[in-house]
Amino acid sequence: MLAALLIILPLLGGLLVLIAPPQRAKHVTLAVSSVVFVYSVVLAFIFGPHWGTDEFALTGAVTWLDGIGITISLGADSVSLLLVLLTTLLMPLCIWGSFTAITDRLREYYGWMMLLQAAMTGVFLARDLIFFYICFEFTLVPMYFLIALYGGSNRARACVKFFIYTFTGSMITLAGLLYIAWRYAEIAGFWSFDIAQLTSFAVDGLNNYPGLSQYEQAWILLALMAGFAVKVPLFPLHTWLPLAHTEAPTAGSVILAAVLLKLGTYGLYRFVLPMVPLAVVEYAPLIAVIAIIGVLYAALICWVQRDVKKLIAYSSVSHLGFCVLGLFALNPLGVQGSVMYMLNHGLSTGALFFLVGMIYERYHTRDMTQMSGLARRMPVWAFFMVFFVLSSVGLPGLNGFISEFLCLIGAFTASGDAGAYPGVLGPWYAAIAALGMVVAAMYLLIMVGKVVFGPLKEPAVHHSTGEQSHLPADLTLREIGVLVPLAVLCVYIGFQPRTFTGAMEGSIEGVLAEYPATVRQQQILQQADLPHFDNAGLVLTMPESTDIGEVNHDG
Amino acid sequence: MIPALHNLQFLQPKLLPLAMVDHHHADPVAFPIAHAIEAMSWAGWILWLPMISLVLCGACAALRIRNKLPAIITVLSLAGSFFVTLLLYLNYHEPVTIHLFEWFNIAVGDGNSFVAAFSLYVDKLTLLWMLFVTGLSCLIALYASEYMEADLKSGYARFFAGVSVFVFAMSSLVMGDNLLMLYLGWEGVGFASYWLIGYYYQKPSAVAAAKKAFIVNRIGDLGLALGLYLTWHHFGTIQYTEIFAAIQHGVDAEHGETGGWYIKYIPFMLMLGAFGKSAQLPLYVWLPDAMEGPTPVSALIHAATMVTAGVYLLCRMYPLLEALHPLALPTVAWIGGLTALLAATIGMAQFDIKRIMAYSTVSQLGYMFLGVGVMTTYGGAYHVFTHAFFKAVLFLTCGAIMHGFAGQLDLRKVSGLTKMPGWRIVSWTMFYACLCLVGFPYISSGFYSKDMIMAQAFISHGPGFTALGVIALVTALMTAYYTFRVWFRVCLGPVQYEMGDEHHGDDEHGDDHHGHDKPHAPRWAINTTLLIITLGAIASIVLYYTHWGQDMVAGSSAGGGVPSAHHGETHGFWDDPHTWMPWVASITTVVGIIIAWFFHLAKREAADQLKAILLANPIIRWLPTAMENKWYVDELYHAVIRAPLWIGGHILYWLDMNLLDFAIVDGIAHLPRWLGRAFRPLHNGILQSYAVSMAGGIGLVALLVLFMPRILQWLGGGG
Amino acid sequence: MTTVLATELLTVLTLNQYLLVSAVLFTVGLVGFLARRNLIVMFLCTELMFQAGAIAFIAFSRFHLEVSGQVFVIFILTVAAAEAALALALVVLLYRRKETLNAELWSELRE
Repeated sequence: MLAALLIILPLLGGLLVLIAPPQRAKHVTLAVSSVVFVYSVVLAFIFGPHWGTDEFALTGAVTWLDGIGITISLGADSVSLLLVLLTTLLMPLCIWGSFTAITDRLREYYGWMMLLQAAMTGVFLARDLIFFYICFEFTLVPMYFLIALYGGSNRARACVKFFIYTFTGSMITLAGLLYIAWRYAEIAGFWSFDIAQLTSFAVDGLNNYPGLSQYEQAWILLALMAGFAVKVPLFPLHTWLPLAHTEAPTAGSVILAAVLLKLGTYGLYRFVLPMVPLAVVEYAPLIAVIAIIGVLYAALICWVQRDVKKLIAYSSVSHLGFCVLGLFALNPLGVQGSVMYMLNHGLSTGALFFLVGMIYERYHTRDMTQMSGLARRMPVWAFFMVFFVLSSVGLPGLNGFISEFLCLIGAFTASGDAGAYPGVLGPWYAAIAALGMVVAAMYLLIMVGKVVFGPLKEPAVHHSTGEQSHLPADLTLREIGVLVPLAVLCVYIGFQPRTFTGAMEGSIEGVLAEYPATVRQQQILQQADLPHFDNAGLVLTMPESTDIGEVNHDG
Repeated sequence: MIPALHNLQFLQPKLLPLAMVDHHHADPVAFPIAHAIEAMSWAGWILWLPMISLVLCGACAALRIRNKLPAIITVLSLAGSFFVTLLLYLNYHEPVTIHLFEWFNIAVGDGNSFVAAFSLYVDKLTLLWMLFVTGLSCLIALYASEYMEADLKSGYARFFAGVSVFVFAMSSLVMGDNLLMLYLGWEGVGFASYWLIGYYYQKPSAVAAAKKAFIVNRIGDLGLALGLYLTWHHFGTIQYTEIFAAIQHGVDAEHGETGGWYIKYIPFMLMLGAFGKSAQLPLYVWLPDAMEGPTPVSALIHAATMVTAGVYLLCRMYPLLEALHPLALPTVAWIGGLTALLAATIGMAQFDIKRIMAYSTVSQLGYMFLGVGVMTTYGGAYHVFTHAFFKAVLFLTCGAIMHGFAGQLDLRKVSGLTKMPGWRIVSWTMFYACLCLVGFPYISSGFYSKDMIMAQAFISHGPGFTALGVIALVTALMTAYYTFRVWFRVCLGPVQYEMGDEHHGDDEHGDDHHGHDKPHAPRWAINTTLLIITLGAIASIVLYYTHWGQDMVAGSSAGGGVPSAHHGETHGFWDDPHTWMPWVASITTVVGIIIAWFFHLAKREAADQLKAILLANPIIRWLPTAMENKWYVDELYHAVIRAPLWIGGHILYWLDMNLLDFAIVDGIAHLPRWLGRAFRPLHNGILQSYAVSMAGGIGLVALLVLFMPRILQWLGGGG
Repeated sequence: MTTVLATELLTVLTLNQYLLVSAVLFTVGLVGFLARRNLIVMFLCTELMFQAGAIAFIAFSRFHLEVSGQVFVIFILTVAAAEAALALALVVLLYRRKETLNAELWSELRE
């Protein structure tokens, strides 16, 4: 039960915070989350030989509701461990980053943060469907309170919308997952919620039962997408996100962007791709089109934003469109890119939210029209801002490029004639999505041009509210300390993506195992559908035989 | 003179039979492909030194070091890079790839991997480029150490860090052994250019120009990226060695080796990238604006090195261009020729000398593309090489003038520079560079390189190549005119000047140490640099006669474009363009210079009179106006591309807020409330009415139960 | 005939007659509850409806020779007693507030 400690420690930390004096709460949580981070790094080493394979390690299970086969079973493969590491890395940074931003209800704040960490880690580590779902939903509760208690002026609406929107989607997802479990119970004669078992059941079947039919899979895909797509968020289910992001406190936004959105893509990776391959192959083009629309749509919307935070929130929608596109390329390059995107988006967008938060803490506004040329006043801040914007734009040499490039080349080569992994997308998908690269450069650089560069203009701080910041003009050492680890990782990933791509190879091959055969089968079926009787009703024309027919004509 | 011309011709060696160049479907040109070697990883220092310099300059910025340390670090490390390049050149025997470290290596099934390593592809083309890139960077960094000293208190380290980034990126662009490393450098130099154009970040025009450069380049990068994807899709590799091997092995242009129909778009996609980076139609608009950056940057990045990356790409990928689509090279040629002409027309009507130089850069880049397009990669590459020197000199002299006259760049406001004390080196190096730019016969390097391109346009057979040759000649005339317009105006004539109003971007420190009332002449760093680079420009003539340039191109992937001049069979003077071109070009050039002399030195008022006459004529009035306003291309792009997208963004945002979020999402969320509202009257607070509805409800249920069988029967019957 | 029938009616009580009484009682209670505005009268009416139910229970219990009906009646009586205690206390409290027993004046729970 090595992995369990990753969940238990934050829970204990949460309890500890409740009994600690309020002024010490932040130190306690920082200490606990740092310990958890160190521990997770240790686990990454213990995981050692399993990197690069599709094995699950660090496993362990406790029976919970024995009668219907529900257990608390944990385990990690390389992808989930990487996401856990992302979570455990960001958590101390978020806590450290909120030292000055949060001034009242300290114990609750840090307590909720700890609870949130436990829930998020639980999602990535869960090997049991019900436990997964419980953690998945439970992330909403701390987030709800973080927005509701520490958010901006419109927080009431934001938190309710965030909660209800994502909750509604996940209920449908639960229905889909339960359907698989129910079918399993029917065939096997007993209940089980083990994810591996259910996955293999859905695909390969059990006891002469051939697995879920394409029709069933299509409905399950729809159900699963309902929850995960809201979480990702995929256009047009994204409208909760800008609101929640703008209203959430800085650390909340960071967590929301860096980890909570990844729960959606992780769900797609862990459940949708392995469980319903037939339906995925059928509907991947549709999902990819939606993702591409999202990329361009959100990018154009970013362009006209005045609120920096909202701009970054919409840019998340745009970026995660790439992530989903890469996932549904159904080949190693695309899926590698997609998983890398989950990590990279967490790092760079997380950092961007930190940076915006630092501005907000000083000036109490995020309105681009009210500020300009801040590089003059805050050169260090400006450096980091430009750095992470470039990472977000996808400048080669930084992390964003790696994932964006892989997603696009994955989608590009996901045509039916590709060698080992034929796909159902193709060059056009990537070509159109790649336009998002250009628009991304536009909106982010326009934002940088307005806020960071240009003649200096500082917003008037509202003295009346008495909230004037006690922070110095430029970043404090603490704030730099929050950003530096992220920046270092960005550069490291940019030049050594191999560390990560190599680690995930096995897991991704496992997830994609079904696809080459499924796609080929689908191709054959489609070709079989295509032949038709022409008007004369005599000649059966196969598409590939047209050439021969023409030759015969000529002859 | 004619015997001399024959001598010249005699010096041109035979390399390839002409037929091979003219036929696109001929057997692919054989050229040696690099093989990997273990040794020589010290070549990596060409990249690492600028990287180290970047880190150190960053440290200087962080530690708020206010002296010339960053400049010293940068100049030293770039000099180091140059010497490593030189060593590499001296140790060069055959094309090799040198592995530095792994970057991408992803298994894609069937035992294949997507590999893109940090490896260097060293052949002569690489070396040709790297020699002038690192050499010029080092010299220009030296120049900048003096030029930028007004900014010692604010952005000195930032500037040199940017230069270091640039050299790192440019080196990986040129030296990378795969398309992805090229792409890294490609975007890297774009970013360096963004960084340095926007150096005066408090100046809105500089910020806008930087942004524009990055975004327009991104459009080109998009093309390059798509070309890269296509290459990977079809060749299963993005490493030059393997691509070239596949090409030499023979790729059917119609279907491609792997059967995709879109393989033939690879050249066009790569071309789009090249057009963006090298400021060709339709993506040239960023380069003139890029002059907002400090002048050393304009000289280094936007004249000598970065903008030639497009030419490098086309030279490097020349076998693909040749093999994959018959129209690929003609497209390059036409785009190049038209860009040269368009930029020259704009350059004639500008007053800002730096901007004139920018347009002349665009125009000369057009010549280079024309050269590659008409199948003389040698001409293209050689023009890149000569242009790098003389254009660097031109920009650096412009910079010296700007520096000395507090930002004055208007050619109408500075005159008689040769007669001012301390400006002699500036004016005469500028004079020589101008001669090179216009291609003055024999004594200028530009003469040889441009000549080669123009003559080849008449030799190679392709759609409209002869017309392109004529366009190139007309452009040469214009070039001569606008170049000497600058020189005659600024350097000769009566001594007059008006100081500019620049504070070197440092408006917090208004007490600029050298005042703004009188010009201050450049000192040793600027003068030395100017002299060295001018010597380089002169030296490149020698390289022509020793065939060095030709050797450098011939042994590389661009070797297919080293044409032979048609020897031995010459019947008359007009049969071989290489015979008559020097004459025609010289006459054109001299005519252009004489026109410039007349309007801008002999009778300066005549230029104004001519302009007045032109503007008075209602039929041709639009012409000078349009030329002065750059043919309104910026405005056109703004109206056709930017504005619709921007309006689209607003519309989408409105729809997002009001239709998607408010109407649909909130609408669905409000549905229960609206339903509840329908039943609201029932809850009136009167006890008895509750009781009535309750009793009524019970009654209803009772009735339902009573009649249910019958209802079901009826429903069943009805259905 | 009629006398015989009458005596039969009077001497041999059938289930229907009990149910009839119960129904009448319930209706009286219901109509009273709906028509009157006095809280105490309305309360009494609810008691009437209760007892109507109780009568039906006992009648069925006797008819089916099944005691559980009678058990339920005991429950009903208990609940009714408890209710009476509570409800009358509430009524008294309400009366103290507004010095009236009119039910119409109490409509604070309206939507």
